[in-house]
Amino acid sequence: MQTSLLAISIALKVLLFPTYHSTDFEVHRNWLAITHSLPISQWYYEKTSEWTLDYPPFFAWFEKLLSMFAAQADPKIVQVDNLSYDTPATILFQRTTVIISELVLFWALQRMLAVMGNHPLQKIISWSLMLNPGLLMVDNMHFQYNGFLYGIMVHSLVDAKQGKLLRSGILFAALLNFKHIYLYIAPSYFAFLLRAYCFENSGNSIRARSWISAFKPLNFFALGFSVIVVFAASLGPFIAMDQLPQLASRLFPFKRGLCHSYWAANVWALYSFTDRVLITLASKTPLGHYLDLSVDSSALAAMTRGLVGDTAFGVLPTVTTQQTFILTALLQLPGLISVFRKPTFERFIGSVALSAFASFLVGWHVHEKAILLCTVTMSIAIANLVGAAPQSGSGAGSFSDNKTGRLLTPRDVRSFMIVSLAGYIGLWPLFFTREETPIKVLVTLIWFITIGAGLDQCIPKSLLPSNEAGAFSISTRSLLRHYTILERLYIYGWVPLQVYVNLIHELIFGQESMAFLPLMVTSVYAAVGVVYGWLLYSATYFASNKVKAQEKKK
Amino acid sequence: MAPTTSRAKSNKNKSSSTSIRQLEQAATRLNSSSASTTAVTTTIYKTSTAAPVSNIIRAPKLNLPVYSYAIWLEENQLKRMAPWIAVAIAALVRWIVGLGPYSGMAIPPRYGDYEAQRHWMELTIHRPIREWYSDGSKWWDLDYPPLTAYVSWICGFIGNKINAEWFAWETSRGFESRDAKLYMRATVLVLEMLVYMSAIVAFTNRWFANKPWTRQHTALMLILLQPGLILIDSGHFQYNAVMLGLVVWALNCFLVDQDVLGSISFCLALAFKQMGLYFAPAVFAYLLGKSLRQGFFGCIWKLTKLGLTVILTLVLMFSPWLQSQEKILQVLHRIFPVFRGLYQDKVANIWCAVNVVIKLREMFDIQELVRISTLATLLSFLPSVLHLIARPTKRGLIYGLINSSLSFFLLSFQVHEKSILIPALPITLLILDEPAVASLFITLATFSMFPLLKHEGLFLQYAVLLGFWVWLTRATAHNTSKFLQLLILLNLLVITTMHTAEFMLEPSARYPDIFPVLNSLWSAAGFVLFWIYFNYRQFTLVNTPKMGFRVTKTAKLA
Repeated sequence: MQTSLLAISIALKVLLFPTYHSTDFEVHRNWLAITHSLPISQWYYEKTSEWTLDYPPFFAWFEKLLSMFAAQADPKIVQVDNLSYDTPATILFQRTTVIISELVLFWALQRMLAVMGNHPLQKIISWSLMLNPGLLMVDNMHFQYNGFLYGIMVHSLVDAKQGKLLRSGILFAALLNFKHIYLYIAPSYFAFLLRAYCFENSGNSIRARSWISAFKPLNFFALGFSVIVVFAASLGPFIAMDQLPQLASRLFPFKRGLCHSYWAANVWALYSFTDRVLITLASKTPLGHYLDLSVDSSALAAMTRGLVGDTAFGVLPTVTTQQTFILTALLQLPGLISVFRKPTFERFIGSVALSAFASFLVGWHVHEKAILLCTVTMSIAIANLVGAAPQSGSGAGSFSDNKTGRLLTPRDVRSFMIVSLAGYIGLWPLFFTREETPIKVLVTLIWFITIGAGLDQCIPKSLLPSNEAGAFSISTRSLLRHYTILERLYIYGWVPLQVYVNLIHELIFGQESMAFLPLMVTSVYAAVGVVYGWLLYSATYFASNKVKAQEKKK
Repeated sequence: MAPTTSRAKSNKNKSSSTSIRQLEQAATRLNSSSASTTAVTTTIYKTSTAAPVSNIIRAPKLNLPVYSYAIWLEENQLKRMAPWIAVAIAALVRWIVGLGPYSGMAIPPRYGDYEAQRHWMELTIHRPIREWYSDGSKWWDLDYPPLTAYVSWICGFIGNKINAEWFAWETSRGFESRDAKLYMRATVLVLEMLVYMSAIVAFTNRWFANKPWTRQHTALMLILLQPGLILIDSGHFQYNAVMLGLVVWALNCFLVDQDVLGSISFCLALAFKQMGLYFAPAVFAYLLGKSLRQGFFGCIWKLTKLGLTVILTLVLMFSPWLQSQEKILQVLHRIFPVFRGLYQDKVANIWCAVNVVIKLREMFDIQELVRISTLATLLSFLPSVLHLIARPTKRGLIYGLINSSLSFFLLSFQVHEKSILIPALPITLLILDEPAVASLFITLATFSMFPLLKHEGLFLQYAVLLGFWVWLTRATAHNTSKFLQLLILLNLLVITTMHTAEFMLEPSARYPDIFPVLNSLWSAAGFVLFWIYFNYRQFTLVNTPKMGFRVTKTAKLA
């Protein structure tokens, strides 16, 4: 048990109670009210509040469970027409439920330590996840229950690592019925469970002719049946009431547009940015005339308004829902194939991360918060690697040998840290109130330095050039010693950029005009980091697969 | 840390060569055994990277979470960045606490300490300097010494540039806005970082210079997370950390024998907040005692030097009001308002406790009370001061600071409950030298301010920070005598019972103040015991450093 981690995380999260909470707070209060006061048949029809229930049924049941306590604490919380009710007692109650539900994540991390090894590398990951700036910002300030949901995901991944594949699959099916965002990684689960659980799994690829003999029908039916039971438990009542189309329309609102209210740090942010640049070039300079750019005037109006949900492009072609789906599938495919060919846990966790990336980068209407899906799965992927003994040498030789697996490389650390940094700073615009600015900056900074240095020290010395392997004290410069010059520039570039966004912009333009500019530069700069980190991560993933295959051949 | 001390004593009696051999054996034993244990629990330190085996010594392990963190930092080569991380963590906690309400928030007509500080900024930027102390607007008169006024002027000047509405003359009385609050909180935090946190970093560097780095960093983290100061400065709203920081800077100078610089810093502390006088007897005694040991002429020269320094610093600070006797008297009258009464509200000192039984304020008039309390204070710090004059050691100075400030808190005239922060400072500095006692004192001191914090709606912050402090320092109990452990438990039990009772029960109409009175009685009793204990400690101090880990000292012989 990591009591220190638990105590520190609870103390910090309780202290964060008075911070700004977004409309998501009212969203969840409303759901408490809906699930408590209305019959099930009304859950997905109720629309007194604009924040209708748009999570799958298990989450609704979870809210119903919480609402029983809420009704005890203050009956006014669970009144459907009591909109925007946020008395101190309500905040105290709802914030407390978040902290308690996040114990699921803590439990999952303890299991992770037990299964993947209780070594410095894994411990650092557990601290990094429990005191994660992304989760702190989204759950404990903005207000959501992601810690709880990621807890279930980590449980499922740990089960997969342990070889308890059926349980892993059931947990994941349940998770999908808590929050459908986990559909992003469902293809990897599907490929992995199908191949590893429903076929003979000797660790080698199966030849074309032996597929049929390798099939394990009993496992296939067990898995299929369990998943169907989970979905039936969740959706059954609504199918019986013939409410499935209504439920689907609530869960998948495709009318919402390509980008969320401000751009998530993905490919579409870069795409929209390019479009804006081209519009400006076309309308303000003679360049547009030479290049023969035609500008859609409605997009021009959208641009001056700032960022709107329904993104219209002025120069570049408009992107449709279908196109994003095809793109996502294409980007996910290589990882899926690799896991299907050789279903090891290492490949599986890597492909889960790649699936999350693909959906985040080119998906339709992606929330900026979805970056957590990438960083959390990447964390587990790193925890699955083998790290070095700490410098003091006290544990030298005791665990580097007894654990087989790929060693942690500087590349893993670099891609993880760059994606995390970019993703978490990409969350900063969620908090536009000045009170929260020092909090989000300090939380991210402290996380980056401590976790970055900790992971840095976990890189086995054998993987480093001999002149770097020696002991020395880390300073701000040497903290980034494994990073290339461009990566360092990118990381340092955040400093002037955020100084501009948080301080200088308002001095120049005031609070109202050009409000889209800080959001846009943050999103675009973060998108560059995420895309780069994704490329680096993909390269590491496929390169390590290839190296292993070659080693086998020899 | 009783076991350590006794072991160290037995070590000292043996000849040095035996103890070194024992040490080597212990080190080798440790080296082999720890190879099998996990990294975090290792307690091997290298005095230098290329040290031979005989220099590898074992410092007693501290069973503290912060200590494990310090070990982790050391193993991960983060020593150089660690103080920055510590300051960042401390700043984060303070800022989050600062999101809560402040003193007098939205309570017209007079508001509270926040409005006082804001008004002083308004006053200093709009009035000529000579009128700062004679402005008769009857709205939160400036009653702090000049350095506070100067700092207010700087804060007001910058704030006025950002938003003139915050500090507009007369129209801004009672002005409250989110941005104004944000700015005021930021001034507290920035000043605290510049003065107090830097002083603490320097202090731990100096005080633990011969000790393992992990201890130094553990102390730094614990001192920066002391709940009382965070709650009052960043929650209630005051600038105590500036005064306390200047005192620590003075102490840092005294530790390296820069007595003139130290006196300047101490005078600046006095010129920031008159409550710094609680420390004055100890500082005076230390410097006097030190001078007396320098021979006749040396003594005269040193005293002249120090005297001139003090006078010059104070004259410089008060210079704008020195042109007439009337003006300077007006300033002094503002700073020392004897007319306010024996104590404010419910405060955990002796007068307030005695008052439960004997109504002192009805028996004596105010002049007599001033005389009685002054005499009592004098008598109470006299033993400590005399001892310090006779033995002016650096360690003795810290105990002297504790004893003289505790005497003032318990017995002087017109004491605020917040003034417990003053004795709490030197006690916090001894967090690793007197771990259990310091932890207990801070717990009790924070508890004694509870009525004030509850009144201001800072219950959540109080509960988290105090609970966290108890947890952070709890493990010190392992090295403590059974008696102290029992006391710590008893104190926690009483505190929890009182809070539960206050939460569950309505006070009866006959005793509406029953809970604050019980609080102050319990705290006052505790503080009296602490006064006795720290006097005893000062008198039994050995001249050599008594740090609890003698092993380091023996290793030096090698």
